[in-house]
Amino acid sequence: MTLQSDIERNETKYLHKFADFTGKRVLEIGCGEGRLTWRYAPETKLTAGIDPDHDALRVAIIDRPSDLQDKVLFNRANSQHLPFANESFDLALLAWSL
Amino acid sequence: MHALYEIQRVLRSDGILIDLRSISDRWPIEVESARNIQVTGHVLDLPASLADDEAANQAIAQAAEKGWFSKEQEEFFPYYYSWDSPDEMEDFIEEAWEDYIGLDEATMQATSSVWALADADARVRVRTKMLITHWRKK
Repeated sequence: MTLQSDIERNETKYLHKFADFTGKRVLEIGCGEGRLTWRYAPETKLTAGIDPDHDALRVAIIDRPSDLQDKVLFNRANSQHLPFANESFDLALLAWSL
Repeated sequence: MHALYEIQRVLRSDGILIDLRSISDRWPIEVESARNIQVTGHVLDLPASLADDEAANQAIAQAAEKGWFSKEQEEFFPYYYSWDSPDEMEDFIEEAWEDYIGLDEATMQATSSVWALADADARVRVRTKMLITHWRKK
């Protein structure tokens, strides 16, 4: 199958139009395999991606570039119970997940 | 709703929430080539997708009413999925989106006819509608 999606990269354009990720502590809810994560994480101070799907998170961890090992973390978690302290993040991204 | 409570809890004061998601809106089906783009029909929105949109809209509206977030900016933009042929599109929709959208026979026939007569580089695509909203924690 030859599916292509968003070859125009509209999603990335609008994401950066709506948010400045530079130096931010970012929480991505519904990160899945990290498809969206890799489009902004290099700019952040810290990125935490959560998703309830264990298999998707395994792919995200495998795909994580070596230069992002220290600042991009993935957790298996549900958005109803975020495993983080109060006021831990500057920016939260609901990635196709509300 | 509880997810939005949790998000405002872990965001710092004045923090930002970006809500990015697709919105059901009888997305157009198009046959696209370098020379031409032709709309051949629209997908059918199934009850599950409409219910998901309604639930999400209600949850964020309630969070705003509670004073957790205020809306600062919102836009729609297109997000395209494309395939080499109408059959590939149909297979994908049946496998991946069967609970959310459907295709009627007339649309499939029209898409197949237009694609068959189009230029050799023609692909079939669905133009989904994306919503992106910038909220700020109060």
